[in-house]
Amino acid sequence: MMELTGLVLGLVLGFLVPWHIPAQFSLYAAAGLLAALDSALGGFNARLKGNFKLGIFLSGFFGNALIAVFLTWLGERMGLPLYLAAVVVFGTRLFQNFGEIRRELLTSRQKGDKIEQDIVPDRENSPQ
Amino acid sequence: MKKTHGKGELAIGAVCILLGFLLAVQLKSVYVNSAGDAATAGRLETLQELYNQAQTENETLRAQLEQTQSDLELYRDEAAQGGSYNEALRSEVDRLETMAGLTDLEGPGVEVVLRDSSAANATGSEADYIIHDSDLLSVVNELRDAGAEAIALNGERLLASSEIRCTGAVVTVNGRRYAAPYVITAIGDMDTLYSALTMRNGVAEILGQWGIEVTVSARDLVTIPKYEGTVEFRYARPTATLPPEGEDGL
Repeated sequence: MMELTGLVLGLVLGFLVPWHIPAQFSLYAAAGLLAALDSALGGFNARLKGNFKLGIFLSGFFGNALIAVFLTWLGERMGLPLYLAAVVVFGTRLFQNFGEIRRELLTSRQKGDKIEQDIVPDRENSPQ
Repeated sequence: MKKTHGKGELAIGAVCILLGFLLAVQLKSVYVNSAGDAATAGRLETLQELYNQAQTENETLRAQLEQTQSDLELYRDEAAQGGSYNEALRSEVDRLETMAGLTDLEGPGVEVVLRDSSAANATGSEADYIIHDSDLLSVVNELRDAGAEAIALNGERLLASSEIRCTGAVVTVNGRRYAAPYVITAIGDMDTLYSALTMRNGVAEILGQWGIEVTVSARDLVTIPKYEGTVEFRYARPTATLPPEGEDGL
């Protein structure tokens, strides 16, 4: 629940402050954001699994964002859209994390049904 | 375990606040920046409108000029009804108008048609094969040298003050733009004009080396239109020995 409240609070805060990012930095901010988003999901996933470590989470959050911004900057210098690397990697991991969270949540919920499944074994194959 | 859980939750919450904050600022920025693009498009539209407006105004002014000129004609006719002094004045005005290029003229002369080169591009530079202002100027200069009395380019009368200037792929004459093919007409001695252009090592031959098609034809009768604009002297004025009324050139 903490994540959602935090996110909403942050969104409201962000829309309320009068600042905005200049157009030339928009790409950096977007790349950093994607990395941060991935890290946040990763942290959530780790917490669900019970192997959450604060140090790893925080270093991942800021480190990944920094690297994504750095890659974007470097790409701009080299004339090669390197930020695509960040987009692909973090995008993929985002889906991965989401998939794991989904599985975690759904299986923990269905643990109660397990008994019923054992009693009626061919339930999975029934055409519903 | 419980403690780590709580700390982790707090950290995730804080990070989520940061994430949300950044996300909101970024979304807002993208929105603001794209609004800027929209503003540029709007500005373009405004400029287009202004351009159209100016063009319409231009048309109106031209019509007005024609009206004024016909009025002037009327006054002149009325003046001609008067005595011999008026008659003399009128003939003087006619003579000066002819000199200034303000009347349609006809007479024997030549017609020169210049077409962009159709030859294969051998030097790799497109610019070598299209007609430039200098090409047109050399033809005009040659015609003047051969005693042409009136010259027009694509129907635009060339005055002493007329420019012939490349503006991109077209040529500006008297502030109006003309594209190839260029037709230069000149009134003068047919044979002299014709041979001035077509002589050995003459203008036509030199331009022909670039593949530019130059067709010179002598005509018994060519018509050259008058200058459509106005001649204004804003800085030049007659020196003190002449009466000051000569300011409008008449």
